[in-house]
Amino acid sequence: MLFMIPLSYNVRSLLVRKTTTVATALGIALVVFVLASSLMLAEGIKKTMVSAGSASTGLVIRKGSDTELSSGTEQKNVALVLAAPGVKKDGEGTPIGGGEIVIVAALDKLGTDGQVSNVQIRGVPGNVMKYRPNARIVDGRPAQPGTNEAVVGAGLRGRFRGLDIGQSFDLRKNRPLNIVGVYEAGGSSFESEVWADIDTLRNAYGREGLVSSITAQLESPSKFDAFRGAVENDKQIGLEAQRENAYYEKQSEGTSIFITALGTLVAVFFSIGAMIGAMITMYAAVSQRSREIGTLRALGFSKFAVLFSFLFEAFLLAVVGGLVGAVASIGMSFVKFSMMNFTTWQEISFNFEATPGILGSAILFGGLMGVVGGFFPAVRAAQTNPISAMRA
Amino acid sequence: MSDDAKDEAPSDEESGSGNGSAGPPIIELKGIGKTYYRGKERLDVLKDLDLTIAEGSFEALMGPSGSGKSTLLNLIAGLDTASTGTIRVAGADLNAMSDGERAKWRASTIGFVFQTYNLMPVLTALENVELPLLLTNLGSAERKTRAKTALKVVGLEDRMDHHPRQLSGGQEQRVTIARAIVTDPKIIVADEPTGDLDRENADEILNLLDKLNQEFNKTIVMVTHDPAAADRATQLRQLDKGALK
Repeated sequence: MLFMIPLSYNVRSLLVRKTTTVATALGIALVVFVLASSLMLAEGIKKTMVSAGSASTGLVIRKGSDTELSSGTEQKNVALVLAAPGVKKDGEGTPIGGGEIVIVAALDKLGTDGQVSNVQIRGVPGNVMKYRPNARIVDGRPAQPGTNEAVVGAGLRGRFRGLDIGQSFDLRKNRPLNIVGVYEAGGSSFESEVWADIDTLRNAYGREGLVSSITAQLESPSKFDAFRGAVENDKQIGLEAQRENAYYEKQSEGTSIFITALGTLVAVFFSIGAMIGAMITMYAAVSQRSREIGTLRALGFSKFAVLFSFLFEAFLLAVVGGLVGAVASIGMSFVKFSMMNFTTWQEISFNFEATPGILGSAILFGGLMGVVGGFFPAVRAAQTNPISAMRA
Repeated sequence: MSDDAKDEAPSDEESGSGNGSAGPPIIELKGIGKTYYRGKERLDVLKDLDLTIAEGSFEALMGPSGSGKSTLLNLIAGLDTASTGTIRVAGADLNAMSDGERAKWRASTIGFVFQTYNLMPVLTALENVELPLLLTNLGSAERKTRAKTALKVVGLEDRMDHHPRQLSGGQEQRVTIARAIVTDPKIIVADEPTGDLDRENADEILNLLDKLNQEFNKTIVMVTHDPAAADRATQLRQLDKGALK
């Protein structure tokens, strides 16, 4: 049986040394905040991108293209794809789907000193809301097909010059797009786009007769294989089909891995400082309490009990810091953030996404810092000679 | 050497008022030597020392600073090991035990009373007294009951929830005594138990030690500089330069 020093001894010892406890815990809180925030950022990117897609929607692009932006196929292939088996039809028997064209325009970013950033503009057919049921107009009105009207995603509204209702911007010289409405699309990356009429966009960029991608709503997710088989078997048209959610997950991968790696790297560097802080605090605690340690050893508590006691104290100190950092990072959920997606070169806007898993692992990381930082002081405590300690 | 010491030790009547019944030997030290090294310098703190203490006796160890009193006490208490010789205390061969075994043995056999009390400042009097019981298999309720009883024995039942800083020196030392007796150990070692106290408080502590010796038959080994404290012992041993006189 293990006979342990009461944990209340450690808790109260920490409370007695308020200043050093708070300073050390804050150092750890900062690291946990950085780590949790970067993981939340990566999760936010992933969620924003992945939620754009649905498993029961097929996305078709040119074989060998990684993104819609680098893809292109002829308009006539849209009808071929939509005629494939598994494509859902409306009450009139018309397939639900359409061809779209995607371009990127450099627009003036508001609130910056003349900086421009890439905005993805999607040329869509008149029935876009039918095959994107998540999207709905929340302000203003839908754009009239065949005109130079456009709607802007809620994530971009007011963040670039010309991107608000009643405003306009030039696609090319004398090719203005007038914003008449704002749409939401379930917080997905579609909200970081501008949707305009497909022909208006093609004319402005001289890409008549071409589409970047073809989107088709399927009768059910299980119909995808048959759909893909039909699309990809026609070697003449050279297209490949993916589930829409898989496509967007792939689009988010690079950026989210980059953010996770960067955040973890920064947190690891910070954590070295925090661990040294915890170590100094615990060495000081061991030194100040050497008489107490000596007495505990004299009374019969084992070296292991002393080691565990001081390790627990360091862990507790760090976990409290971790909790503070994690709670502070939840505050980041209310911050909207925008950055470049390195795969699509498009500015997307998203939230920091707090999940129990992220918060739990960040707190655990804090606790781990305490255990690592507190290890050597705890070993010193365990090795304390009771006679010399009590004489001190 | 110890035989000489025993011969020279005053009788119960001469040495003090204690009348703890002297039983069979409980502490037996034979040929004990303790050597420390300070760099290359060799310090023989105890030299070929023999000592036998009977169960139930109240022993005082006196001598000038550096004579080896505390070292001898630490050896008896199992806090340190001898460089040479054998130490048998309460039936255990201390030099043959590992550090962990001696820690377990101390928990059940020895009660400590220190000059500077050595209470845990963040724990209450009751929690301090309960501390050694955490090394037993007793449940929480039983531990609390025993700790309260021990505090009652030392007359501090109304100070259980006080922290050490809220107690006087005398009261702190009484808590220490309660902590020393709570596990009902056979032996109590006291290192200058009255060293930090005024005469009145010192006498109270000595009365308590007397009571433990006489009523509870505890064997007490006390290091002291205080002649009044030594007067309470049933046996007085004088140490000088690492040897018993």
